[in-house]
Amino acid sequence: MSFTTPYFTLPKFTYLKPKKLEDALSLLRQYRGKAKIMAGGIMLINLMKERKISPEYVIDIKGIEELKKISKTENGIKIGSAVTAIELQSYQIIRDNLPALAKAASYMGDRTLQHTVTIGGNISVGMPSTDGLPALMSMDSLLTIKSLDGERTIPASELVIGFGRTSLKDDEMITEIVVPYSRGFKGTYLKLINASEVAIATVAVSVLLKEKKLTVVIGAIAPRPYYFDHKSLQWNWEASLSENIKNASEIIGSSVKPMSDAVAGSEYRKEVSKVLAARALKEVFGGA
Amino acid sequence: MKTISLKVNGIAKEITIEDNELLLNVLREKLGITSVKAACWRGECGLCTVLLDGIPVKSCMTLAVEADGKEVITAEGLYFDEKAKKLMESFVKHGAMQCGFCTPAFVVTSHYVLTKNPEIDGEELKKELNGVICRCGTYYQIYEAVKDAEKYYKKETKS
Repeated sequence: MSFTTPYFTLPKFTYLKPKKLEDALSLLRQYRGKAKIMAGGIMLINLMKERKISPEYVIDIKGIEELKKISKTENGIKIGSAVTAIELQSYQIIRDNLPALAKAASYMGDRTLQHTVTIGGNISVGMPSTDGLPALMSMDSLLTIKSLDGERTIPASELVIGFGRTSLKDDEMITEIVVPYSRGFKGTYLKLINASEVAIATVAVSVLLKEKKLTVVIGAIAPRPYYFDHKSLQWNWEASLSENIKNASEIIGSSVKPMSDAVAGSEYRKEVSKVLAARALKEVFGGA
Repeated sequence: MKTISLKVNGIAKEITIEDNELLLNVLREKLGITSVKAACWRGECGLCTVLLDGIPVKSCMTLAVEADGKEVITAEGLYFDEKAKKLMESFVKHGAMQCGFCTPAFVVTSHYVLTKNPEIDGEELKKELNGVICRCGTYYQIYEAVKDAEKYYKKETKS
């Protein structure tokens, strides 16, 4: 979030609250380019207060039941895009199977806002400060994107294309997130924030022990999160954990190019990324 | 302009609003409910927290139209709740305020927390209350007051 003077009012818009997904999609098409989707609305309302955006129509999707479901299928765990951060932390199915996501959700705003914040909103604004995206990327999640023309599926890593920009077209919305794993894997999520609660760096780590697959995602340091896997980290499953972690954090440090802003400088973010990555790896592999 | 119907502190209301009005403005200016404080206007301080269908929300981050068909509860409404009244008395007993500006928001939020889980762990309680800021720094007293009020929220054992 920026540090501009807050406004006390919102620009004029028409509020629409469809009950069905098809209705939301046709409204998006009908008012193409003039409408914005609102779920929790935290980011949307703040951006409107700052007059950074002034949509003519606001489409509230909180009334659409199918976007609020969480289910376990043979293809993994499916999470509706309007599931809230509180739900991600409290549902047993997420806590047991996707701990990195549950932990990331505990960082999405403060506790009160977490009743409102949704996973879809958190990732689709396309800001580096998202907690959901690094966690989802570390688990190789897929996003189901729908428009009136049908649906397409993209890897979570292809959602953000630049600062505040996503690959979503203006008549499309994320309807569902599919995490392809549900067992035999561990994960965690760590974050360093400064006193004003702005993220300096976030790290999401996921390990699939059975298939010896490891991913480390570093978020909040650049417009797009950085994705590493056991290959790019030159992880040697035979070598000792401390050796591997030391090596991996050096590789991370030499590959990331963090941004400098009011919150932290590039060099500091780079150091923090290395330290957080090492801590997260230790946690996931259990000590050392 | 549209008319929404909602229940505010137990009383059914019909209000005419614009789509772009915030719940905060409507509560303060149209309904005269002044325990709901307007401070940061950007969802950070939590002083405008109200219960919307029992869930704490920041009313500066909520459209008034979102409250259509729902029930809003503020600190004024909680005065008529036996348990919440004890909670408020506990705030007084423990001196859990200095200027008092954040008190309604803390009362509303901790009422929600204790209703949900009156045996909440201390660290969990601190986390649950992290959406509200007290600039006087009376957090410790607030924590003590809420902990002390737990007993009123526990299921009635035999008395």
